[in-house]
Amino acid sequence: MPRLDDQRLEVAKSIQTALAQENLLTPTQARSFVRCLQTTWDVELIGWSDDDSSKQLSSAYNLIHVAGIFRDIEGATSLSAIQCYKRAAEQLEWLARSEDRLNNEVPISLLAGAAYQLSGLPAMAKGLLKQISSDEEGWRLFSFFLQADFDAVIKTATNFWKNSPELTEQASSSRLLNEGDDAVSWYITVELTRTIGLISYSLRTGDQGRLEKGLEKLDAMQRMATRVFSSDIPLLMAMLSEVASGFNDASIYKSINRLAEFDLTKKSRLYTLARRQYHNGRGILWPSQLAGIERLLAQSSFALCTPTGSGKTLVANLALIKELLLIDDDPLMAPLAIYLVPSRALAGEVETKLTREMGDEFIITGLYGGNDWGVTDYWLDADRPTVLIATVEKADALMRYLGPIIISRLKLLIIDEAHQIVPADPEYAAKNFAKHSDRSLRLESFVSRILVQSPDVARIALTAVAGGAAGPVSRWIESKEDAHPVGLNYRSTRQVIGVLEVRSGSAPELKLDLMNGAPLSIVGREGSPYLRLRIQAMPQLPPGMRNSLNCYNQLEIFWTSMHFRQSGRRVLISLTQVPEQTMKWYSEALQLEEWADIMVFEPPEKPWLQEFYDETMAICIDYCGEDSYEVQLLRIGVATSHGQMPQKLRLLMTNLIERGICSITIATATLTEGVNLPFDIIFLPQLRRQSYNPDEEEAVIIPLSTAEFRNLSGRAGRPGAARSMEGLTLIALPQAPSTTANGMKPTQRRQVRNLRSDYENLRERLVAEESCVGDMDSPLALLVRTLFIKAVESGFVENEDDYLDWLDRVSPSDISDHAAMGHKSQDAQLADTLDELDGVLLSAIEEIGHMDVIDGESAEKFLTELWAKTFSTYAAVQEEWMESAFIKRGAALVETIYPDEGERKRLYQYGFPPYMGKRFDGVFEDIKEILASANSYGVLSIQERCTVFAALAGLISEDQGFGFYVRDAVKAQNVLANWRGVLNWWLNDPEASGPQADTLREWQRFVSENLEFRLGVAAGAVVARAWADGAEGHLTIPSLEAWKETTGLPWFGFWVRELLRWGTHDPFVAFVLAQGIAKTRSVAADKKPEFQEWLESEYEEIDADDWIDPQLFLQWQMSLPGRERTNAEEIVYQAQLTGTDGLLGQYTVIPIYNDGVLSWIDPAGYELAKSNVAEWGDHVDAHKSDFKMIVENGSATVAKVF
Amino acid sequence: MALHTCPPPDLDEWLEKYPSVAGNYGHLLLEQKKAKDVDLFATLVPYFESAHLDARTIFHEFIGIDLHPDAAAGLAEVSYPSSLHLTTLKGFFGEALTGLIVEAYDLVGDHDWKVPVFLFRFHDDAKKYLYTLVRDPEQERQTIGRLGTDFIGISVDEDGEVDRLISGEAKWRKTLTKSAVDDLMLGPKVSGEELRQEGKGVWAELNKEVNPPNGLRELQIALKEIDPDGHAETILSMDRLLSAYSPQTVPKTDLVVIVGKGGASRKERTSFIGWEEVPAAYTAGNDLQVVEVILSDGEELVEELYASLWNDED
Repeated sequence: MPRLDDQRLEVAKSIQTALAQENLLTPTQARSFVRCLQTTWDVELIGWSDDDSSKQLSSAYNLIHVAGIFRDIEGATSLSAIQCYKRAAEQLEWLARSEDRLNNEVPISLLAGAAYQLSGLPAMAKGLLKQISSDEEGWRLFSFFLQADFDAVIKTATNFWKNSPELTEQASSSRLLNEGDDAVSWYITVELTRTIGLISYSLRTGDQGRLEKGLEKLDAMQRMATRVFSSDIPLLMAMLSEVASGFNDASIYKSINRLAEFDLTKKSRLYTLARRQYHNGRGILWPSQLAGIERLLAQSSFALCTPTGSGKTLVANLALIKELLLIDDDPLMAPLAIYLVPSRALAGEVETKLTREMGDEFIITGLYGGNDWGVTDYWLDADRPTVLIATVEKADALMRYLGPIIISRLKLLIIDEAHQIVPADPEYAAKNFAKHSDRSLRLESFVSRILVQSPDVARIALTAVAGGAAGPVSRWIESKEDAHPVGLNYRSTRQVIGVLEVRSGSAPELKLDLMNGAPLSIVGREGSPYLRLRIQAMPQLPPGMRNSLNCYNQLEIFWTSMHFRQSGRRVLISLTQVPEQTMKWYSEALQLEEWADIMVFEPPEKPWLQEFYDETMAICIDYCGEDSYEVQLLRIGVATSHGQMPQKLRLLMTNLIERGICSITIATATLTEGVNLPFDIIFLPQLRRQSYNPDEEEAVIIPLSTAEFRNLSGRAGRPGAARSMEGLTLIALPQAPSTTANGMKPTQRRQVRNLRSDYENLRERLVAEESCVGDMDSPLALLVRTLFIKAVESGFVENEDDYLDWLDRVSPSDISDHAAMGHKSQDAQLADTLDELDGVLLSAIEEIGHMDVIDGESAEKFLTELWAKTFSTYAAVQEEWMESAFIKRGAALVETIYPDEGERKRLYQYGFPPYMGKRFDGVFEDIKEILASANSYGVLSIQERCTVFAALAGLISEDQGFGFYVRDAVKAQNVLANWRGVLNWWLNDPEASGPQADTLREWQRFVSENLEFRLGVAAGAVVARAWADGAEGHLTIPSLEAWKETTGLPWFGFWVRELLRWGTHDPFVAFVLAQGIAKTRSVAADKKPEFQEWLESEYEEIDADDWIDPQLFLQWQMSLPGRERTNAEEIVYQAQLTGTDGLLGQYTVIPIYNDGVLSWIDPAGYELAKSNVAEWGDHVDAHKSDFKMIVENGSATVAKVF
Repeated sequence: MALHTCPPPDLDEWLEKYPSVAGNYGHLLLEQKKAKDVDLFATLVPYFESAHLDARTIFHEFIGIDLHPDAAAGLAEVSYPSSLHLTTLKGFFGEALTGLIVEAYDLVGDHDWKVPVFLFRFHDDAKKYLYTLVRDPEQERQTIGRLGTDFIGISVDEDGEVDRLISGEAKWRKTLTKSAVDDLMLGPKVSGEELRQEGKGVWAELNKEVNPPNGLRELQIALKEIDPDGHAETILSMDRLLSAYSPQTVPKTDLVVIVGKGGASRKERTSFIGWEEVPAAYTAGNDLQVVEVILSDGEELVEELYASLWNDED
């Protein structure tokens, strides 16, 4: 350490303390930030002078200097350096975005971009630099480089060489130095272009040798610049050089090389993968990703806890590669990974993304709920590594039939959004236990069972929540008391939380309260910064609308969103409940005269975007009806999404949002659970979920959890996707009643106060949580405790000892005559909660002990093992009695409650909690009978088919346990009463009448909860058991060939769930939709004659069941003309060497086409060879491709290699 | 890389000096009294080689890295600085001569100035190529026409800490006349008018100059690279100046050096810039030192001098 370095550090620290503390802005910095926001939003500006600007600029330089001191002494990873660069970058960014005219040579945005890169915030660098363009080619070159947009750098450099062919000769550089008095300046410029081009090219291809040469040259150049240039040029060059060397350190090839050490034979495949990451703009890894990969290289299991938008998916992808491709050592068994996601929507998204990125390496298949096996489940039989993406419900159901197959292949378990293991709200969770709908419990139960059966399986938990849950999740996932999560509080973008203040007759104001979790305020001023929006005030609403404060508030949001849309911002209106009500209000606003001007929407011009829009519209009309709110809103470019929407439509809506076709979206939380979409602003009209409990005659209010809110607000301002630099999450708060009727004002005043206090409460929780780490609730412990409390309340037990005795003998039917009937009485709920616990225990006993004869003693042994693997064990200090209760109840289950082994197996396989399963046994044979007798379903009329379904549904329609169940609300009860009508509508019977716009969602809810889910589960359970009963041994892999014979059922049994899923009576339509051959039900139905013709021409004897034989559908599909492949063969160009002796044998080259001649240019800008070509068709994206020239035996050829 | 350590030679035999100091304003007129000869070169070469050594090393390292894929290491056919264009060399000469004057002569305030490393800056226009990526022939002429370079030197106290800075510009004009010097100092005239362009000219530049001046950061970088231990105190004190949040400064002397051949109408022992009092256009308020160097055979001198640097090696 050179002398006096400690004193240099002291100087640096004093400046850091004054200017660059995390989340603490100086008054001037805060003013600068606010002013920048005001400029971006085009609203009135705070007072600010040119002198303020130049002071901010010079203090930014100070900070960069100070960062340099930290780097000199502490190295490139110095946290203080990173912090100083970050603040410098922010100061520069705020100046740049305020469009100040400052007396500086290098555009401030470039310096800001470089400083963001050096502070480990590449997304911020990119976001800023993308917004600010320059006419100067050189600045653009640097800007592309600082954005890590290497393809654009190569394009710019290639253009340069194309325009200056004299510079591409080998001797051109040294010759240049002797030409004219400006030679050195020009020489430096040319060499810099060579260097930046070479570095960019070498980065994306992983050519380490030339990369290092380029870096060496860039370093020499920046040192040269220090001597020969004045003002900010040397600074920019020095930063460029540092950024470049940071790119080298963070390049995915570095990680790939280390991964490849697990299996060197796979290196070239890994390189292709890395190259693809560069192609997608993700070749340079973020600090959070590097930390994750570091851990991945060191160990198999860990928890990665970094905020939303920190790039966790890549770590998960590399984990798949490591576990399935590199260290799998069983040549006979294709390895399997299960990727657990929290929602079906997310399963779809993850599937699409993974397929795009790794479809060549793995079979990737998303499974969507349900408990049987379907036509898309070909992976079971495949000999390639497979990734199953599933919700925990589906994975759990699969285990019941295919457990042994899965366990033997399973190598890796990835749990996305793993913080969902923590029950959101204990009271709410307790209710859900009785309803068997608590997801966290299912997750804990499923994962813990896997951990016992397959303790060596690698597992990775991904979570955005760094606070309290991170520690317990990581201990659980690693099964180690001393485990720590990979947890960087890394936010790739800036997230601001605030309020949209609305008042009748005025334009709304934005109040900004929190930035990256910390309060944002200006020292010396009261309250948070404000932005007074310059939009027209919303015209006064008709009385019917303004008399509802909620309606008024939501329309203010809509009005504001419509204006934001005009300035290119993308808005999500996120609802906690009743989306149909909001859609209704918005549709009604469409009729208001004063709103007509802002409702104008032009469908996209680009044909392929137009096609997406039209397709979504067609499907929306198909599933929702011409007059539905969804269709009305889509017509004005507003997308909608909620959990009851048919899956297919939801995916398409997501597509419209992703591609920016619809810039306003109305959605419930199901849209945003882990799904990445480009929103600049998220509005929330409510921070609670409210329902009415008729028994207690009171409102039940559940505040939005901080986890849900964090997840949501993390979706705003996605890196590089958004227009603004900040992701804004705004809670709309009316400042006064909207009604003009005096009688209604007191009520509205109370509502105004409630909205405000909900927000204040949330804000306090958010701030408190940033630092807090505490014990967590865990679902299983909560279940055991809830059961105890309820048993005490109902007078069954008095203390823990009583409780243990009671568990030893009691059956749900002893507690209530209404057990497993969805009854709301206290005793029935207690019985159902017990049944839920029994379900967890039974699954464990059946799965873990499936090979042996189980008695009470062995059950206790399994359960002790299981308890040790639960989240509950790692999350909180457990009381001993809980474990005893859990184990004791398990033993009782085997010995006294369900002593018959066959019954236990049957109940386990149904998938219901056991007592409910026992009740289901009563209808099992009847359902089977209907399925078995539907052997002519293939030729039945629509009406007859509907009758078959009605008979099935009739069996469960009156049982609220496993059968149809709806809320107490009148609307819901009405739909239940009309279930036959809903069923026929859903099966697409043209004669059935559909819902009105305002009852559509209630119908959809009934469809998804009762037809798709409950009826589907009931039918599926029967089919799956029929298969299990017929199969020989538990390792038999299902196949289409053996399906009929094994189950003894006609093909209707195979299709019943698919039909309920797609909303059709016709298996052919379901098949065509499932395979993506057609998009809408009517188009699918139009294809049927083709199939009929084909079938009749191929086969002579066709019986009724053949018309719906999936094997025949598949054969027909194979007979369809395949899509033509465009890149049929690889083109090889013959080349003449012009600028190389060819001794190296291999050269990377870039094509430049000019008038029949292709020049092959080295990435550093030297022409190496030429080819004569008649035409050059590959030119459009040539800069994104890699070409390689091979020189052997005196001849040179060039071919595209990527 | 190396520090500039060669002591300044005595040039009295070659240049007649006419120094004056009035308050915080110093003026020095240097007139060539003897034609260049072998002795003069023998006197100048060691100093100039020392002044250029750092830049030469850096430059050779830079051009020594050839990015052609077939390139073997270090094929520099170009020798710095001798093989550069004359116009560039004139700029370099002006800067090295400035350093020599600052180190050798008694200037305003009587400080002991040191130039530990010469930066040899190009003119601002030279940067344009970098951001336009275009070499425009029109642009080229302008660059030639406007010679000049920033200069920076330091004075250090007994603890090795910087206690004063000297910075400014050295300007070369082929022929020095009253109007050429006025254009240089006050800015060119608006075409066709008597008025001068606002904010142009050396005085305006000096009035705008920030403290710490441009170049200090780069000088510190050079010192860190070359001699971090030997100059630790100097480096540390520069850190204080460069990271100062509430401006912490040391006093500064502004410097203007103009070099060229005296025009036909120029009389001996006369100056273009008045020596009696601070020029009115200079308003920065620092100590100011003006140096006028009248050379009769300047261009030839530059050519020959630079041809003889590192003659044995190149």
